[in-house]
Amino acid sequence: MINTLELRSVTKRYDKFLAVDNLSINIEKGSVFGLLGPNGAGKTSTIRMMMGITMPDSGEVIVFNEPFRRDHLNRIGYLPEERGLYKKMKITDQLVFLAELKGVPRAEAARRARAWCDRLELGDWVEKKVEELSKGMQQKIQFAAAILHDPEFLILDEPFAGLDPANADVLKDVLLEQQKAGKTILFSTHRMDQVEKLCDSICLVDHGRSVLQGELREVKSRFGRNHIQIEYEGDGEFLKTSPLVKTFHNFGNYTEAELAQGADPQEILKAMTARARVNRFELAEPTLEKIFIDTVNQKNSRPQNA
Amino acid sequence: MRNTWLVIRREYIERVRAKSFLISTLLIPAFIYAVTVLPTQLATRKASSKLHLAIATSNARTGEAIANQLRSVTSGNKYQVDVKTADDPQLRANLRSQVESGAIDGYLWLTDDAISQGKVEYAASSTSDFVQIGELHSAVNTGVTRARLAERGVSPDDAEKMLKRVDVDTVEIKGGQEKKGPGEGKFFAGFAVAMMLYFMLIFHGMAVMRSVLEEKTSRVMEVMLSSVNAKDLMAGKIIGVGAVGLTQTAIWVILGLAGSSPMFAASKNLREIIASSSGLLIWLPVYFVLGFLLYSGLYAALGAAVNSDQEAQQLQFFVTMPLIIPIVIMTMIIRQPDSTASFWLSMVPFFSPILMTIRIAMHTPPVWQIALSVAILLVTMYLILSITSRIYRVGILMYGKRPTLPEIVRWLKYA
Repeated sequence: MINTLELRSVTKRYDKFLAVDNLSINIEKGSVFGLLGPNGAGKTSTIRMMMGITMPDSGEVIVFNEPFRRDHLNRIGYLPEERGLYKKMKITDQLVFLAELKGVPRAEAARRARAWCDRLELGDWVEKKVEELSKGMQQKIQFAAAILHDPEFLILDEPFAGLDPANADVLKDVLLEQQKAGKTILFSTHRMDQVEKLCDSICLVDHGRSVLQGELREVKSRFGRNHIQIEYEGDGEFLKTSPLVKTFHNFGNYTEAELAQGADPQEILKAMTARARVNRFELAEPTLEKIFIDTVNQKNSRPQNA
Repeated sequence: MRNTWLVIRREYIERVRAKSFLISTLLIPAFIYAVTVLPTQLATRKASSKLHLAIATSNARTGEAIANQLRSVTSGNKYQVDVKTADDPQLRANLRSQVESGAIDGYLWLTDDAISQGKVEYAASSTSDFVQIGELHSAVNTGVTRARLAERGVSPDDAEKMLKRVDVDTVEIKGGQEKKGPGEGKFFAGFAVAMMLYFMLIFHGMAVMRSVLEEKTSRVMEVMLSSVNAKDLMAGKIIGVGAVGLTQTAIWVILGLAGSSPMFAASKNLREIIASSSGLLIWLPVYFVLGFLLYSGLYAALGAAVNSDQEAQQLQFFVTMPLIIPIVIMTMIIRQPDSTASFWLSMVPFFSPILMTIRIAMHTPPVWQIALSVAILLVTMYLILSITSRIYRVGILMYGKRPTLPEIVRWLKYA
C-alpha cells in the first residue's frame, strides 16, 4: 500500500491554543479522503501543515513517502478555504502566473489555462479582471488554479462551498475523472451527502484530535443497522421522548433515529403510523451526517478539564 | 529563486501597467515643484505692481536722493514718488488720509530728526510685502548715505564710486581645483534631492505595505504560500516595487535632463549640482536602494501585521517618523554639511539615505565617511530585514484583531 500522505503524531500549538493534537492520518494513493469536523476543529491548521505553510511543533509530515520538502509542493494542488485571487489581474495572467510558480513553463501554462477555462465554462471571461466576476466564477478560477499544474495530490478545502448545483456537478465530474486518472484527493467539507458520495475514507477531527477514522464503509458498519430513517407527514416530535429511541434528529418531514438497546423497530412504526402518515420507513446504517453530529455532540458534552 | 523572480515580474508588470503609475510619475515632480520652487517664484514675482509713495522730509535733497534711488529700481516694483517738505504741521494727517482713500499707497516719514535717531517710518495700508520693504530699506539707506556724503562736500561722482556695490562670487576649492560655486542654487538643489528621496522612500515603501495588505485582505496570500515561501514572497515584493521606483526615477532623470518644461524647472538646479559633485550620480542610487530596502522591510512587516487600511494608517506614523526627522533637520545639514552634528546625524542608518545624499550634494565628504555610513546602513538593513521577515511570516496568516506590540515580539519566536 502506497500512501500519498501520512501525518505521524502531528501537534501544532498557537500560543496557548492547541490547534492540532497528536493527529495521525494515512491517505492512500488514488483514494478520495474526507477531512471532516466542526468549525474550528483544526482542519485548516492540519491542511496548512501538509502544505508547509506552517510547521508542526512535533510529529512528522510524510508526503509521497518522503519527509516533507518544499519541492513536493509542485506536485500538490491546493484550494484554500479562504478563497483569494489578485483582484486587478486578468484571469489568464493570473492562472499562468500561479501555474508558473508551480514550475509549469509559461507557454504550456497559457495553453492549459485556456483549456481549463473552456472546460469550466469560463471561456468568455479569460480577458476580464477577477473583480469583474461573480463569486461562483471566482471559485471556479480558484479551482482551475489548483489543478492547472496537473498535481498528483489535490487538497481541497470546502470545494463545493458557494457553488450552485449545476457547477457543483461540473466540479464533481472533474474530481471523479481525476480519481480515475490515479490522483489522490483530500477534501474537507461540512456537506456530508457529498462525502458519502465521493469519499473512500474519512477522518473526523474535533478539538484538534481524530475522533473517528477509517474507510467510510467500515466506519458506518461500526455503528450497525440500528438506525431508522422515516419520511412522514404529521407529528414526529414524540419520538424524542420515546424510550425506544436513543438519539434522534428531526428535519420536519424526515427523521433519523438511533434505536435504544433491544428496541423493536416495529413498535416505532406502529407508534408512528398512529400519529402521522409514513411514506418511507427503513432500517439502515446511520448516515454520515448523524454520525458526525452524534460524535461531535458526545465529545463536547464530556466535561473539558483544564 | 525562480519563484522570487516570478513574484518580482508580476509585481513589476502589474504596477507599471496600472494607471496610477503614470499619474504618480507626473504628479510627484509637480508636487515637489509646487512645494519648493513655486512659493519662492510667487513671492518674488508678486512684485511687479506699481506703487505710488510720498516722502515727507525736512531736507529736499535727501528726499530726492531716496526718490531717485526708488525710481531706479529695475527688478521688482515700479515706484512713483512725490517728495514733500515736512514744514506743514498738517502734512502727516493729510498723508494718512490719502493712504486711507487710496490716493497713495504709503509714505515715508524721514525728517532730519528721524534720520538722526536712526529710525524712519514707513506707513502704508499693507506692509507685508517683504520684497518691497527690502527695496525701501536699501533705497533709504543709500539715499541717506548719499545725502550725508554730499553734506560733507563729497561730489556726486565720488559718492557714486564710494557706494558702488561689490558682488561676492563663491568659489569652492576641491582637490587643488577651483570651481565656481553654485551658491543659492545649490541650496535649492540639495533641498530638491532630499525631498525627492523622501517622497520616493515613503511612496514606494507604502506601496510595499499596501501590496502586502492587499494580498492579506484578498486572501490570495494562502494560495501564494502554497507555492512560495514567505521569505521569497517578501523579497520578490520588495524588489519588484523597488524596481518600479527605479524605473520612475529613471524616467524623471531623463525627462529632467532633456526637458525644459516648467514642471522640471527644479531639474536645472539638479543639473547644476550633478555637474558640481559627480559623486552624487553614483551615491544617490546606492542610498536610494539601501534606504528603500531598510524602510520597505518595515513597511512590509507593518502591512503583514495589520488587517485593514485603517489599522495601517494608525500605525504607519511609527515607520514614517524616522523619515520625517531628516527633512526637519535638513536645513541645518545643508548649511553646515561638515559640522560634527551633521556627521553624527548622517551616520544614523535611518537618516543616512537622505542626510548623506545632501552632504554629498553640498560638499562631498571624505570617502571613509561615505563608506562608514553605507556599512552601518547595510548592517542595520540586514538586521531589520531578518526581524521584519519573521513578523511578516507570522503576520500574513493572522487575521482578526490588530496585534499588540508584545504579541508581535512573541511572533519573532515562532519563526
